[in-house]
Amino acid sequence: MPEIRVTPLGAGQDVGRSCILVSIAGKNVMLDCGMHMGFNDDRRFPDFSYITRNGRLTDFLDCVIISHFHLDHCGALPYFSEMVGYDGPIYMTHPTQAICPILLEDYRKIAVDKKGEANFFTSQMIKDCMKKVVAVHLHQTVQVDDELEIKAYYAGHVLGAAMFQIKVGSESVVYTGDYNMTPDRHLGAAWIDKCRPNLLITESTYATTIRDSKRCRERDFLKKVHEAVERGGKVLIPVFALGRAQELCILLETFWERMNLKAPIYFSTGLTEKANHYYKLFITWTNQKIRKTFVQRNMFEFKHIKAFDRAFADNPGPMVVFATPGMLHAGQSLQIFRKWAGNEKNMVIMPGYCVQGTVGHKILSGQRKLEMEGRQVLEVKMQVEYMSFSAHADAKGIMQLVGQAEPESVLLVHGEAKKMEFLKQKIEQEFRVNCYMPANGETVTLPTSPSIPVGISLGLLKREMAQGLLPDAKKPRLLHGTLIMKDSNFRLVSSEQALKELGLAEHQLRFTCRVHLHDPRKEQETAMRVYSHLKSVLKDHCVQHLPDGSVTVESILIQAAAHSEDPGTKVLLVSWTYQDEELGSYLTSLLKKGLPQASS
Amino acid sequence: MDPECSQLLPALCAVLADPRQPVADDTCLEKLLDWFKTITKAGSSLLLLQENPCLVELLCHVLKPQDLSSRVLSFSLRLAGVFAAQEDCFQYLQQGELLPRLFGEPGPLGGAAWTAPSVRSGWIQGLRSLAQHPSALHFLADCGAVDTIFSLQGDSSLFVASAAGQLLVHILGLSMQGLAEGHPSLQAGDWPVCAQKIVGHIEESLHSTAVPQITQALNVLTTTFGHCHDPWTQVLWVRLSPLVGSLLEKDPVPAAHSLVDLLLSVARSPGLSSSSCGLWETLAQTLNHLSPTQAGPLALGILKLQDCPQVLRAQAFVILLQPLACVLKATGQDPGPSDVLDSATGDSLTVDALLSSKAACVGLLCRTLAHLELLQPLPQRPCPWPQEPLLGAAVTLLQLCRGSASPASDVGRHLCALLLGCVRVQRAALDFLGTLSQETGPQELVTEVFAVLLEYLRSPDSSPTVLKKAFQATFRWLLSSPKTPGCCDLEPHALLVLRELLPVLQKRLCSPCWEVRDSGLEFLTQMTRHWGGQAGFRHALLASEVPKLTEQLLRDPESYVRASAVTVMGQLSSQGLHVTPVSPEHPGGQQKSLLVELLHILSTDSEGFPRRAVMQVFTQWLRDHHADVAGDTEQFMARVLQVASQDLDWEVRAQGLELALVFLEQTLGQFHSHCPYAVTPPVAAPAGPLAQALQPLCRVRLFEFAFRALFDCDRPVAQKSCDLLLFLRAKTASSSGSLQESRSGPDVASVEAALQRWQAGDQGQPLGDLEPEVVLAVLRSVDLEGLRGALAEGSDHMEKSPQSLLQDMLATVGVLGENEADCY
Repeated sequence: MPEIRVTPLGAGQDVGRSCILVSIAGKNVMLDCGMHMGFNDDRRFPDFSYITRNGRLTDFLDCVIISHFHLDHCGALPYFSEMVGYDGPIYMTHPTQAICPILLEDYRKIAVDKKGEANFFTSQMIKDCMKKVVAVHLHQTVQVDDELEIKAYYAGHVLGAAMFQIKVGSESVVYTGDYNMTPDRHLGAAWIDKCRPNLLITESTYATTIRDSKRCRERDFLKKVHEAVERGGKVLIPVFALGRAQELCILLETFWERMNLKAPIYFSTGLTEKANHYYKLFITWTNQKIRKTFVQRNMFEFKHIKAFDRAFADNPGPMVVFATPGMLHAGQSLQIFRKWAGNEKNMVIMPGYCVQGTVGHKILSGQRKLEMEGRQVLEVKMQVEYMSFSAHADAKGIMQLVGQAEPESVLLVHGEAKKMEFLKQKIEQEFRVNCYMPANGETVTLPTSPSIPVGISLGLLKREMAQGLLPDAKKPRLLHGTLIMKDSNFRLVSSEQALKELGLAEHQLRFTCRVHLHDPRKEQETAMRVYSHLKSVLKDHCVQHLPDGSVTVESILIQAAAHSEDPGTKVLLVSWTYQDEELGSYLTSLLKKGLPQASS
Repeated sequence: MDPECSQLLPALCAVLADPRQPVADDTCLEKLLDWFKTITKAGSSLLLLQENPCLVELLCHVLKPQDLSSRVLSFSLRLAGVFAAQEDCFQYLQQGELLPRLFGEPGPLGGAAWTAPSVRSGWIQGLRSLAQHPSALHFLADCGAVDTIFSLQGDSSLFVASAAGQLLVHILGLSMQGLAEGHPSLQAGDWPVCAQKIVGHIEESLHSTAVPQITQALNVLTTTFGHCHDPWTQVLWVRLSPLVGSLLEKDPVPAAHSLVDLLLSVARSPGLSSSSCGLWETLAQTLNHLSPTQAGPLALGILKLQDCPQVLRAQAFVILLQPLACVLKATGQDPGPSDVLDSATGDSLTVDALLSSKAACVGLLCRTLAHLELLQPLPQRPCPWPQEPLLGAAVTLLQLCRGSASPASDVGRHLCALLLGCVRVQRAALDFLGTLSQETGPQELVTEVFAVLLEYLRSPDSSPTVLKKAFQATFRWLLSSPKTPGCCDLEPHALLVLRELLPVLQKRLCSPCWEVRDSGLEFLTQMTRHWGGQAGFRHALLASEVPKLTEQLLRDPESYVRASAVTVMGQLSSQGLHVTPVSPEHPGGQQKSLLVELLHILSTDSEGFPRRAVMQVFTQWLRDHHADVAGDTEQFMARVLQVASQDLDWEVRAQGLELALVFLEQTLGQFHSHCPYAVTPPVAAPAGPLAQALQPLCRVRLFEFAFRALFDCDRPVAQKSCDLLLFLRAKTASSSGSLQESRSGPDVASVEAALQRWQAGDQGQPLGDLEPEVVLAVLRSVDLEGLRGALAEGSDHMEKSPQSLLQDMLATVGVLGENEADCY
């Protein structure tokens, strides 16, 4: 029985590191290869030993697909390809291919910066890994090999994020990665066609939440920054190199322009230029509004946002600084934070999630006295704000996507078990499909019934048409033909054509049945009686009495013979071809009932 | 445990035991467990529990029927296991009947929580930690845990199933440890209860017709023989080998992959004398029974064994070579004089496997090539090694994939149709071809190798990954081409190849794919490194457009390519291979223009890779006394350090310090040349010459850069600077010169004040010109050792401490809101 098997190595009932193995029609695909930022040892990567025991990775896996550039989806990729030893193709969209190495490099630098970790991938490994990437366009069907094909769909979420359809023959799986069903300031909403996959693997971060619009959150953000700057405070926004940083930059730039604000905004790592470059390069991935505006002026050529110099942090007066890294766990952002933390006029806005073991996590959980080296205590008097700008589909959005794709089954990943449970029930009720939520390491097996395409010969169809029956999509019709398999294709042809193509001689196969009749007359007379009886009963059929004494009804032949032991009994031999099986059976049952008494 | 943590622990245990308080971050419990493991490794668990009764209370509390999170329950089971690993603590927990309640029927095992894989996993891991002593074995036998572990081997969770298998291996090993020394009995009745039970279960599984059960049994045995080499393992194998052998009688052989792993594990085990157990016969039999795809890994494993009968090795090698022999035969090539390949040709099974489908064909060929690639460099590889036919096969495969071979036979044509354009086989064959360059072959075959490589490098159809591998293989073959004795230049034939290669490289450097341009540059770097000084190579390279194109790639839109171009240009320039037309206004200025260009990249490139590459080139140039640098080293250093110190990329700053160190060594090296008999530093030196020697360092503002870097927000920069200054201090430690007042620059006090400001995070104004005496005085007054000690800790060691972890876990209570499940 063909089946689809799905095993999450990560993102099964959690939001740690996405890595999902899918086996479909004998092909093995890895969906995402993420890392967990909360660990500092090998636990940050998915446990690949479960696949390496199947022999060489490159032989076992047909491809790896990366949905988007966030590290919880691509962070383990260089480790997997350069240290674990996967040497096969990696697929991602063009923007992801461009941005992914920047974030990986950013993370590598932070990891080495913090602890000087030796057992970590190097810059060269990131580059070698990126060279194995095959970039894909949206809606482009890419043949991984002769049987396996993939296709990317727009997912919103971040620049370049995509959902992927994985297809082998008639079986298919759609993996959403992270997606957003409502357009935001710079990206559009996720979209997929009614592709009716056997399985939809969807993220479920906000499985139970109906989120307020992102606009509200943006307004709130601007209001807070504005207030802090107005009172002469400094605002620190710790960010990762690319992604949310640019989104917030556009927001501030527009606001500064509109409000004619003068306080300087700085970006710490010279990345505005790069972001500018990428957004220009991948303008088709942004939303309608940005595309339109871009024609008039480059939205990323910021007037108010300037490159940060380390000396600026000491300048008097208000300012806004975007600094890396995003969780306040090393480098510049942490240094600025320490400098500004003691002043209650200042503010730090954390625009994303922070893992335990970072200063970001501490201040978000409300800790205000932070122990520093040498038993020093840093008192945090500055205002601390958390603002989630993460762009995931909420419960409504997930349901909407399921409705759009019309899958046969749904599988939830990238969420919390309790919330998944709720959504699972909702999906099962509303769409009447099975919904699964495996934990990491658990395998879900789905039996599939592959539909096998069969071609019908023109000759056969013409013959059907010649019988005067026009095709009607709503009425199924029985069609006789011979199914032949040649060159891995199935075709339905007329039996004559099949014989010709296969170079075979035709054999006649006849079914024979004996019917005993009590009739003391001679065989010829019995045959005559049979003929008369059938002639009277079967008015629509051609009944003939042949010179040799036998009777035919269409292709059915009836002969009468004497019984070897009982002279009062005659044996009727009835034989027919398989085409007339129905009539043959009918005649036998009719004759078994006996012949009518002769009127004479 | 330190008192601060002890104080926090009761509150944390209370939080964990409260089902209304969800645990914030799923990594916290893992880290907490790590911490307990560290504590118990270092000291007594019993004492820990006695001093912190809240821990036992937590373990008791999780057993109460309540809606506790499966994560906390799983954590508690693992924690109990960690404590019970020490026998006295095990007894202590047993007194309260806590362990049977946690791990026995009345515990989570029988409850609803068991449906969560994390709880099952916690249960197994808890038992795995606990099973360290004889009392634990009795406990396992008494509470019926072993039966549960058997059933968990087939768990729906891969993690649980695998851990269950591992645990069985561990228990088996532990229980057999207790057996008396000497030769253990073959009679099962003499074995400990747990061991009897496990072996009985394995036997039962091997008798089974269900493949998953057989697989589980084989996996347990594989791990056992892989990890334990005690005499009892031999007894175990003698007992089980007939059962394992009987699997071969089934058609198809069940769980073939696991069977291969087991047989190889047994064969590798030093505890087993293979000949006495009939292992070689079993291996030979298995090789015959398995399909070509399944037999490959076994054949490779056998050939890797250190001592193994020659007949078996020959049989394994024939099997390994079969697919390639088929390819050679199908394309009408003589497999050559080698007996091995000749005997490998006739296997119809392999032909069937090759031709059955494209996927099967590609899979089998890729595996075969990979196996042979692994085998080639091993000392125990078969001898004679059929280099020629293998080379022929690799070349043929590459030709088949390109469609440039025209086989006459039906099988050959079929193969050609299956392999045409197949990137996977191309990649595998190129890797293999590269490996074969370790040995050479007859000239005509080597010519063919280069021809096919050039064909791939030229082809517009070659994918970037294929091209990269083609470049790598070409380089390896160029390296291996025979050399004229006494000369390391390329031999004439290789030079001919090079002349054909350079136009191809030229074309590839203009590829629209950055991956291809970069692979081309990496190839050029490798070539220049090896033959940059050789006349033949130099002549061919200079006659081509390659150097000019490389220079243009310094302005490539892709930063990876720019970085590679910087590296190549640096190297070309070092070797005198970078020639730009000398303009009449700047005679001899061709090198300068590159320096200017690289400085421009260093100060303006928006990405780190090219800037880092520039710093590496500069450091190398300084080391090599590159003409351009040597001309005015001080000016060069001053400019580079000034730019590097401002860089936002800490790796560039760190490399700036590396460059500074080289300069320092060179400068002080000159200084030491005054004392030719000094053996080791520190060297006593008069203050005058020392101050003089330090002058150039002051002039290039090396010290301001280094002093500032001491307090850099990025730890590796500070560390590097600390090392540099410590090195300098060691060199100048016993300098007896008296401190003189600074004449124009800042005095010691103002430098120290600046250092304090930098430490506080202020940037401040530049220091200006420092005098050597001031530098020396500051060097003596700064606590560099203390700083180095502090920097050796991770920059986040405070946040990573156990106390911080406990504080964080407590702090998140009640503030879990929207950010609970949020992510990027």
